[in-house]
Amino acid sequence: MAHVTSIQYEPVAEIGGGAYGTVYKARDTESGKFVALKSVRVPTDQNGLPVSTVREVALLRRLEQFDHPNVVRLMDVCATQRSNQETKVTLVFEHVDQDLKTYLERTPAPGLSPDCIKDLMRQLLCGLAFLHSNRVMHRDLKPENILVTSQGQVKLADFGLARIYSCHMALTPVVVTLWYRPPEVLLQSTYATPVDIWSTGCIFAEMFRRKPLFCGESEVDQLGKIFEVIGLPPEEEWPTDVTLSRKNFSPLMPRPITDFVAEINEQGAELLLKMLTFDPLKRISALNALEHSYFQDEETLTQTKS
Amino acid sequence: MARTGFCDSKPLLDLHKKVDERRAPLRMWANACGPLDRWQPVEVDESRVAPVKKEPERRWERRLSIQTSEGIIMGFHEDSQTCLAADGCVEGPVLLYPHGLQGLHSLQALVPSLLRREVEIALEKLNLIWDRTYAWDMFLDMMRTQTWHSFPNADLPRHFTDATRAVLVDWLIQVHEIMHFQDETLYLAIHLLNRSLRQIKVTTANLQLLGMVCLFLAAKKEECLLPEVSGLCYLMDHTYTRHQLLRMERKVLCGLKFDLSYTPPLHFLLLLASIARCSAKVVWMARYLLELSLLEGQCVVFQPVQLAGAALCLSRQVLQEPPTPEGEAAWCLASSIHVGSETALLRIMQILASAAAKAHGRETCATFIKFSSPETMHVSRHLGLKNASALLGV
Repeated sequence: MAHVTSIQYEPVAEIGGGAYGTVYKARDTESGKFVALKSVRVPTDQNGLPVSTVREVALLRRLEQFDHPNVVRLMDVCATQRSNQETKVTLVFEHVDQDLKTYLERTPAPGLSPDCIKDLMRQLLCGLAFLHSNRVMHRDLKPENILVTSQGQVKLADFGLARIYSCHMALTPVVVTLWYRPPEVLLQSTYATPVDIWSTGCIFAEMFRRKPLFCGESEVDQLGKIFEVIGLPPEEEWPTDVTLSRKNFSPLMPRPITDFVAEINEQGAELLLKMLTFDPLKRISALNALEHSYFQDEETLTQTKS
Repeated sequence: MARTGFCDSKPLLDLHKKVDERRAPLRMWANACGPLDRWQPVEVDESRVAPVKKEPERRWERRLSIQTSEGIIMGFHEDSQTCLAADGCVEGPVLLYPHGLQGLHSLQALVPSLLRREVEIALEKLNLIWDRTYAWDMFLDMMRTQTWHSFPNADLPRHFTDATRAVLVDWLIQVHEIMHFQDETLYLAIHLLNRSLRQIKVTTANLQLLGMVCLFLAAKKEECLLPEVSGLCYLMDHTYTRHQLLRMERKVLCGLKFDLSYTPPLHFLLLLASIARCSAKVVWMARYLLELSLLEGQCVVFQPVQLAGAALCLSRQVLQEPPTPEGEAAWCLASSIHVGSETALLRIMQILASAAAKAHGRETCATFIKFSSPETMHVSRHLGLKNASALLGV
């Protein structure tokens, strides 16, 4: 199948040496469209492709059948043997030229309009709600893997890959940005879908600020930066299954979020704080976030207008 | 002409899209035995599954399921109505006949909510769901996705015949039994085989290998314990090497584009039987008939829910258990799920009846033997199966 893939997809450019391996932009010679090729090398033993890989890719395929507008299309999957110990799984995604990072960089001062931010956020949360209701978490949500088409359509990319890649990651000393990581991940506690909501909160703030909210240089530094904004959580909220003690951090009171995100309106600030909640169980879910007055506000406004 | 008991009605609407991968597999009798020595535990990272916070509300799905649930519930069939009225079972279970509601009109109005409740209870009882909140959504999803799992025609590539396919399926049924896999694994394996036969070029010499790989992949998707590849090679008398098996695995995965999702007809069978309060014997008979459908190449054109409905109808007709008011009422409620057209169901019933009548004398008799055991209430040896076709007026 290797040659079939390389015949059907003609590499055009390397578009990123992501944490998980190189990503290529390629042209689908059948349709003429551009695709993004992401390859994962999975270790294979005498029993073939690992069960986790088979199940995860099958799950991505199944998600694909639902054709969600805010999730990037997975067009093809292929497995090729590289050696006796390794199989290369190539995932063929639709290619979108622009991610949220470049989108924000290209936006001239004074930045995105409040309506535009609201629209992007709604689409982002719709995509997340879809993934979460299918028990898929992204785990590595950041502006680089939120794609924005030229029509302003948001498409989540790279979800679910964290699990497919995980065995590979264990072998590679990868540098992954900490800026969008929630406290529970930084503290190496258990985590679930709320991780993505924390990241979404960071991105929400960044849309206003046009620069990241928390730019830590290490796990502890990142946590420190977080507590400077949301305050040091009470002892009872500190997870019990972690090695890092709460005593390592100086007691800080929460500061008004508008000190850091100046242009945000009142409902937006309230939603942002619900996303940047320390306790993952108290953090708002994607679906409840969509029901928040921050979004309903605009609906009623447009209704009265029309 | 015989009736299926399931009613003709409006077609299934395009139900809203929703995924279910969360269901826990059914515990099957085949799974009751302990693991064998050559098995190894599957190491799957459960981190995503374990502490996932349940969303209290899923607005967009819920809204859509309300819109679309109409399509799967049909108006009562004439027969069903008369059976409700004629049997005078007004004092049946509370669930079916709340006090003060008499007359067909009000009963009909009640069906959707009764059915919904019954579906929820049944799915929970069958261990197909973790949380009843999502049961109806999941059922709608099952009904919608299963429509993708039939084939436009029963044609096989020229060098394969239905007889060859039946021999292969029969062998896979035996391997499946040796492995003590769950029944879902068997249905998935045969579905993958049906798809692979149409999408991948395989020589006759590699047909057995393809079948084994489909079973292996189905096990990777469904089972907690996996056999070693060397064990599988042993079961094929070392006709193929481990290397060949793994190469075929990649070939099948690529050919099917890693799409391993399937709604097995068995789930519909158990669901319908549970709503219809069928006796254990009816269920075993229906399971036998349903498994026979795997051997029939022509059955691939039918949807899983149609196969399940037909197997259950035929089972009831063969066993001819004395009707009870509660049983008939429950059957009427189960019949309000739109299973398929009368023509399609009768066609399947004819195929299954004729297969069951011949099963004992065939070369491919693994299913016959499996269902002749005391655990399965000896259903495959039931005398009624000998002239089952006559029951259908053929």
